[in-house]
Amino acid sequence: MANLTRRNFIQLGIASGALLAAEEGFISPALAGRVKLKKGGKDFNFKTDAERTAIPTACWSCVTRCAAMGFVEDGRLVKMESNPKSIRTLGKMCAKGQSGPNDVYFPDRLLYPMIRVGKRGEGKWKRISWDNALAELTVRLKKLRDDGHPEKFMFHYGRMKASSSKLIKSVFLATYGTKTISGHTSICEGGKWTSQELTWGKHYDNWDFDNTNFILNFGSNVQEAHTNHIPTSQRLIRAKVERGVKSVTFDVRYSNTAAKSDEWIPIKPGTDGAVALAMCNVIMQNDLYDKSFFKFIRATENVNASNDEKIATLKAHLKQYTPQWAEKISGVSAAKIESIAKEFAKTKPAVVINYRGSVAHYNGNDTERACQMLAAITGNIDNPGGRCRGVGPKWKYPKGPKNKPKAKKLKLAHGFPGTIAYPNHGVCQQVLPMIKDGKAGRPEIYMWYCYNPVYANGDNQGNIDVLKDEKMIPFTVTSNIVYDESSKLADMILPDATYLERWDWEDMVDPNQIGEHYIRQALIKPLGEARDLGDVVIELAEKMGMPLGVGASKEEFVKKSHEMTAKAVKGFPGFDYMKKHGVWHDKNAKPKYYSHKKEIKADKLKGAILDEATGVYWDPHKAHAKHPEEGYAKTKKAYKGYVGQKMGDKVYKGFPPDKVNKTGYLELYSALLKMKGHPALPTYVPVPEHEKMKSDELVLTTYKVAVHVHSRSTHRKWLAEVYHDNPGWINPKTAGARGIKDGDKIKVKSKIGEIVTKAHVTEKIVPGIIAISHHVGREESGRYASGKKSPFAHDNDPDLKRIFWKAHGVHPNWIIPNSPDPINGQQCWMDTVVTVSKA
Amino acid sequence: MIETTRQRSNIYRLLALIYRTEITKALLKHIRDPKFLSILSDMGAELEDDFLKGPEDNLIEVLAVEYARLFLGPDKHISPHESVHHERGDGDWGTLWGKSTVEVKNFIETSGLEYKSDYLGMPDHISVELEFMNQAAGREAQAREENDNDGVLCCLKMEKKFIDEHLTKWLPVFCKKIISEAKLPFYREMARITNNFIEFEKDEINRYIAEAEKEETSQVS
Repeated sequence: MANLTRRNFIQLGIASGALLAAEEGFISPALAGRVKLKKGGKDFNFKTDAERTAIPTACWSCVTRCAAMGFVEDGRLVKMESNPKSIRTLGKMCAKGQSGPNDVYFPDRLLYPMIRVGKRGEGKWKRISWDNALAELTVRLKKLRDDGHPEKFMFHYGRMKASSSKLIKSVFLATYGTKTISGHTSICEGGKWTSQELTWGKHYDNWDFDNTNFILNFGSNVQEAHTNHIPTSQRLIRAKVERGVKSVTFDVRYSNTAAKSDEWIPIKPGTDGAVALAMCNVIMQNDLYDKSFFKFIRATENVNASNDEKIATLKAHLKQYTPQWAEKISGVSAAKIESIAKEFAKTKPAVVINYRGSVAHYNGNDTERACQMLAAITGNIDNPGGRCRGVGPKWKYPKGPKNKPKAKKLKLAHGFPGTIAYPNHGVCQQVLPMIKDGKAGRPEIYMWYCYNPVYANGDNQGNIDVLKDEKMIPFTVTSNIVYDESSKLADMILPDATYLERWDWEDMVDPNQIGEHYIRQALIKPLGEARDLGDVVIELAEKMGMPLGVGASKEEFVKKSHEMTAKAVKGFPGFDYMKKHGVWHDKNAKPKYYSHKKEIKADKLKGAILDEATGVYWDPHKAHAKHPEEGYAKTKKAYKGYVGQKMGDKVYKGFPPDKVNKTGYLELYSALLKMKGHPALPTYVPVPEHEKMKSDELVLTTYKVAVHVHSRSTHRKWLAEVYHDNPGWINPKTAGARGIKDGDKIKVKSKIGEIVTKAHVTEKIVPGIIAISHHVGREESGRYASGKKSPFAHDNDPDLKRIFWKAHGVHPNWIIPNSPDPINGQQCWMDTVVTVSKA
Repeated sequence: MIETTRQRSNIYRLLALIYRTEITKALLKHIRDPKFLSILSDMGAELEDDFLKGPEDNLIEVLAVEYARLFLGPDKHISPHESVHHERGDGDWGTLWGKSTVEVKNFIETSGLEYKSDYLGMPDHISVELEFMNQAAGREAQAREENDNDGVLCCLKMEKKFIDEHLTKWLPVFCKKIISEAKLPFYREMARITNNFIEFEKDEINRYIAEAEKEETSQVS
């Protein structure tokens, strides 16, 4: 029978219709009922049956920023769900996201601008009008600028991404002229990012669980907390459940990720790098590497080295890291290290994953590099199923006035001079200590946004001492939704809109390697007098006589961004579509893999010159280089002019640099690190404090739980109800040696202070450690978080009477010093040495 | 487009009836209608004279014997159930009530349909799978009538998932076996048409989805 045509089937379909119309005498169907369309995105009032308005938006609880749906009934936000059309979230949302309405309606929310009336920190406040608040800010900011010192206005933010970041940082602060700006990345994951910038260029690794066949995990709790949590964790589970993909997790703690792995391998804190390097050694010595990928690896000083030379160099370097050596350091048996290394190398494709558990250590930079090496030598880089460079959507946005002043800055954001080799993402935890130090100058106005500097950094008391001192910082102002431990120390509080009351375009990485555009729409009007800081800076700029020209509101800024993006991104459907659907991706786009293999043809090399020393083709004009003859490596920000990497007689796109002048190779050998006196090849350096530990001392390690955001969710009642106390996890052996029983009060003491908490004695933690989660242990943040009422809070939330929990936990950061990784500035959350005794 | 969708739905229903039990008198009467036979003939189905002209009762009997021989046994036969033929990577196939059966049952029940209590067969019988597609395409046609493009897309994606994860995973093998084992032309030709139709659907469904997605974009832009 020949292939049938459409016409055949049309005829058959019509004839079948006629035949079926008779109905009589046919066997009745096996199935009853009707196919129901479960599109999601619909919700009904269970009492009245009225359909609620579903508005696509985006979450902001954690940095994953999932596309979401808000359900509004009679002007009140009643429920949050995921957006079922999102290719990132696939219609799923975590507990944090679902607790969104709590963020809007919690009774202790800041709803009016306030100015302090007593001493700073005393807690006496007066409500003021927005007009008066902005008038005062305008006078203060204008004076600094007109006196030629805009840099004395310091802006410090916690979460500020996508359009919020562009409008506030790139437009407003740039037009004002201050570059005294700090983010918070170094207390989060800055070390991981910098380490990636030193190896494969632009940061962010996407783990391609959809296509992988083996998962090797060093200290990531991806099932409970991750910077791309729901998109990633569900794909990991799907890989395991549907395809039986094996996963192995190294962690000091039996996290839920470890629990969902095929194997949990307990390891001593700060020693992941030793194990990863030993695995690299096993793979190299047994010739289990992927030789073809070595073309793109830099393993030696000589950028023209052959694959054989590179292989020989790595083999020689890694020889010292035997599994037996790693066993002594990490406590993981040599046989285990060897067998997992072989399995990882032999299973194709395989993905090595890691996060703060292995990176937030003194030696985290090279642990990350060792993980990059594991991926690179096995060819699991940027391949389906491997460790891929993250892909996000491209947005265009209005940049504000053309002639911006040359911005000035106080050098407060990148750590004490000379202490950090590559503080690419700042050293946020040193900002307040540096203000105290005073040598880099002090801001006259310190403003923080979506951030809790007192609690989010280490050494809480030190932070309070600086922030409270009016001599050190004459004026403090915050834009916040919650009266937390830091707002308490502000001179002026501006009530911020929650993320559910404001506009944004969004851009977090897509695990499909495609990129998804999505937006955040205001679901409701901001409560009380709350205002989005994006709207506030537009007005402030007007008042200061420096109109930004980006529209009269954040919404207009977002709308204009859509219009510009529609011109630049093929097929992008524009603002109305995005308001209706919330998400868009190019249906014809192919997942982005192997982009390093792209050859750069001669016509694309126009204007570029070859730097012989590095083999980099770069465009000095694009890099604004004044003295290109000094060469690529030595020219400031030369990486901005990167075009391609010469490999043999061809030029490849390779791994383009970002933030530092590395070559276009995946640099396992880093000339940049060598230049700063650090080992060029990934090397194991023990954590110095751990080397000096006395026998009765323990390591304090921190972690996150699935139902809280790091430090901005304890006021959400549904989450606080689930998790409000954080006893220290301690192994029965460790506890027994100290006479500690489960539930006992214990004293945890470090070199900077002590806290009293409870012991949770459990086998789920390796001996020699105490683990205390972040999140809780608040002194403020309202009644759900701390039992304490905030200024001007109201009582009309019936659930206030139902708070059954008396314990609010103990925050560990009181005793964790602010200590940055010497290479990248990452806060070493997992290194603190403590003693633990019965209280 | 509504018409196309209805026609697809009809074909699924017809095929479901053909495999569900032995051919009934009513169905045979319609199939032997000259108009219907000419369409089958256009499709290259060679049903030969005995089918066309023989006495009805006799033909019903002969076809029932053939049906039993092919699909019921007692000797070696071709079980018309997915879990017997759907070769799975995990090795869990080749038996009745296997993993695929459970998956099909879940799939169908998740869609809002339920197995009627008087249906005594197994959840992954070929006729049930085809009937499911008949229902899904029927619901799609309704969404098209209502200009509910979201609904159309939702149905199409469900249909594609079922085609990709189930129908194409076993029908080609199943049909091939019938084609080689059949003694009478009727089931041989029906197997050919079934196989061809699924092949056709597998490709076409992507086109329908692309069109609906285009529609989705143009509605608001």
